[in-house]
Amino acid sequence: MAPLVEAREVHKSYWLGEKEIHVLRGASFSLAAGEMASLVGPSGVGKSTFLHVIGTLDPPTRGSVLFDDRDAFAMTEEELAAFRNRSIGFVFQFHYLLPEFTALQNTSMPGLINRQPREQAEAQAKEMLEIVGLEHRLEHKPGELSGGEQQRVALARALVLKPRLLLADEPTGNLDEATGEGIHQLLVELNQRLGIAAIVVTHNPRLAERMPRRLRLTEGMVVEV
Amino acid sequence: MKLHWRPSPRAEGRGAVGRKAARPAVVSAAALALFLLGAGLQYSLAVWLGAYTTLSRDAVNGISFAMEGVWFLLAGFVLSFLGRGYRPLENLIASAVFGAVTFFVLRALKPPSFSYDRFFASTGELVVWSLAAAAASWLLAMWGASFGMLIGANGHVDPRVRYEWGIARTHLRLNRHSALLLALLGVLPPGLFYALGIAASFRDPHQRPLVHPLHILFMVAVVLASLTVIGKWIQHRAQIARLQPGQRRKRPATVVMTGISVAGVAVGVWALTVVLSVMSGFESDLKRKILGTNSHALLLKYSADFSEWRSVIPKVAAVPGVAGVSPFILNEVILSHGQTVTGAELKGIDPATAGAVSELPRQVIAGELGWLSKPQDIPGTDRVVEPRGEAAKQLGGPEYEQYLEDTLKRRQAHPEESQKLDPEALRNLPGICIGKEMSHQLRAWVGDVVNVLTPLGEMTPTGPVPRSRPFRVACILYSGMYEYDSKFVYIGIPEAQRFFKMGENIVGLELKFADVDAARALGRRVVAALGGFPYRTKDWAELNRNLFSALKLEKLAMAIILTFIVLVACFNILSTLIMLVLEKTKEISILKSMGARDASVMKIFVVEGLTIGAIGTAMGLLLGLASCSFIEKFGLQLDPDVYYISNLPVNVDGAQFVMVAAISLALSYLATLYPATKASRLSPVDGLREE
Repeated sequence: MAPLVEAREVHKSYWLGEKEIHVLRGASFSLAAGEMASLVGPSGVGKSTFLHVIGTLDPPTRGSVLFDDRDAFAMTEEELAAFRNRSIGFVFQFHYLLPEFTALQNTSMPGLINRQPREQAEAQAKEMLEIVGLEHRLEHKPGELSGGEQQRVALARALVLKPRLLLADEPTGNLDEATGEGIHQLLVELNQRLGIAAIVVTHNPRLAERMPRRLRLTEGMVVEV
Repeated sequence: MKLHWRPSPRAEGRGAVGRKAARPAVVSAAALALFLLGAGLQYSLAVWLGAYTTLSRDAVNGISFAMEGVWFLLAGFVLSFLGRGYRPLENLIASAVFGAVTFFVLRALKPPSFSYDRFFASTGELVVWSLAAAAASWLLAMWGASFGMLIGANGHVDPRVRYEWGIARTHLRLNRHSALLLALLGVLPPGLFYALGIAASFRDPHQRPLVHPLHILFMVAVVLASLTVIGKWIQHRAQIARLQPGQRRKRPATVVMTGISVAGVAVGVWALTVVLSVMSGFESDLKRKILGTNSHALLLKYSADFSEWRSVIPKVAAVPGVAGVSPFILNEVILSHGQTVTGAELKGIDPATAGAVSELPRQVIAGELGWLSKPQDIPGTDRVVEPRGEAAKQLGGPEYEQYLEDTLKRRQAHPEESQKLDPEALRNLPGICIGKEMSHQLRAWVGDVVNVLTPLGEMTPTGPVPRSRPFRVACILYSGMYEYDSKFVYIGIPEAQRFFKMGENIVGLELKFADVDAARALGRRVVAALGGFPYRTKDWAELNRNLFSALKLEKLAMAIILTFIVLVACFNILSTLIMLVLEKTKEISILKSMGARDASVMKIFVVEGLTIGAIGTAMGLLLGLASCSFIEKFGLQLDPDVYYISNLPVNVDGAQFVMVAAISLALSYLATLYPATKASRLSPVDGLREE
């Protein structure tokens, strides 16, 4: 069976002035559907960049990213947008919620982008907010929520359309230990419950330990731990 | 904050899957074909309108070129789907070829020149026109393509703006509170103007004081003060409702800039509507006065012999569109009364039919126009005929009563003026109608005897001797045009024929049409009905060409200058949107990571700019409308000796307001294109790399 996502010899470099900085140097890896992996590595090694490339946000300088054996970056802008909308969910270190919208509106955004009717999008969002345990915070704006709650809303938003891959970039990096623990617990739970494959970038070795699969990014390459 | 203002490298490489974009040569060829078709459409439409409608040449040109412009927009729209993008280069090639083709076609067609000392346009002029055609085709095509890009020309068509509008609304901070504030700000000042106008209209119209600058200052101060109080109140309410005591709300710079942009557009639209309304007020006032004294057109003959006019009149009257016909004779004379002498245009008219072609009978303020043919009815000098009628009311005032009193005193002091002739001969003197200003100059009122002198007199052995005849003033006319009231005098046709020794001839026929603006075309129809040469017509616009050309040019110049104000206001929108794009880079990235299409991101910012433009335009239009009503009701006084109009005229023309709104919205839309396109091309990671 073909893996859900496969990175083949992914190179990524940036130009900082006159200097070319090679972040990824032929990173390769694959993830099966429903599989969960942690990604660790020191700061600045390119974990976020790797996640962006896997998540089709940033095209690689060289190499390819395949979803179901199909080259993601050969798609048109529109197909790529629709693909991100349906198949990938992102959670970032900062919640990145839209501050003027309530938790419910934020969570229904992917549905609205998918041009679902408002009622349907909000029903789905409500369902997902219940799953992450925020049914009592539907009409609160991000500013009125605690850090942990914000990250739960972000998680609900990432998962509302039941994507096949969740990419979490240090989702607990900004939270205290207990709260981070809770979010992590939720991630593992959701992976088991919804069968969504996930890559979780983390600095917390204890949390990384608990993942069924552990990856490490060193010198622009992905290695299994 | 670092921004990548260039399309992501992905943009060039993609497109392998899905519908393919047409090749450059195909796009260019299609663009050229569409441009040429548009030009052909314009030419045939202009020819067709000119041949089958009674529209004026300006209207024909306006309509046909507007259609061509719309065609180019549509062409750009279609091309954006064909080329899956703007394709500026391919369009530019097509436009350049189109310009070259235009040049050669124009040279073959030999179009008339804009300059008066040439019949045909020179090569230099043609080059300018061709360049303009090329530039216009490219710009309009790009403009049309932007619509295509907005609804997804590079993929599936999706004109919906549901969540985009929701996001745009948060960027603009449009919620119930700000909407209420905007509505109040938009309605209050115009309401105040309107109320002031209503209050002013209750005053006695004869006691109008000249506007004092202090009054205006006071009014402005009142408006500003009330606005400040209301604004403070709303702000206070909002703070109580939302915030903890001591907490200050942060307001990003973009919110302030949004407000400034709205105000800028509003002020521009306000100025544009008020000035255009006043200018068109002047124009319609002038038109009304000119057409009150003159007919819509003159039927003349390339010959001094027009003795068959009695048989021509029924033929002319039978032409559809002709509402009235009346004969006339025109010559220059000298008028004298006592010691005063003045030059005049003597017009022989038929009092019975003159009312059918002009407003002459309604301009009579004393006496009767009918007395021209029945001079026996003119009262003697023993009493003063009182002014009457609508026109007389406009004069009113103690000044005029004084003039009438003086007339009576003058007649009592100089009885010899009317006693040179025996009473019977006096009663049989032919009548003459003079304008109000001439009446003042000559100091002659109804019943007075004036001498008319023509230089075209008898030839005697000592040379030509001017011929003169006494006439009795039958009526005083007031048209409202100083020139007419001081220059024109009227006598009956038979008297004029006798006086100028013309026999049965007349100079021409005055015509009135059902539709003033179709005067030229209907004139051609009349000439055709009479068999063409030697007959010809001259319409009112031709006869007063200098005046109306000057007015039209002035109006155009004002419109252009004021459109620049709106343009500048739209630069505000542009900078506000650029600030917003910078502020919202992160948000754009999040939306893209959630699967928002480039076209959706573009829509967000276009909708924002258009909302700013629309709110500003609506406010400006309301303000303009209220200001016009205020000017009309309050009656800002003008110096009547200079303008010969007592109040600043305004003419609120719905079409003009719609045009201003369209210009303002079109400019707002254009202002959004750059920031919106840039925002849509931001890479999703641009906003995520921060922090």
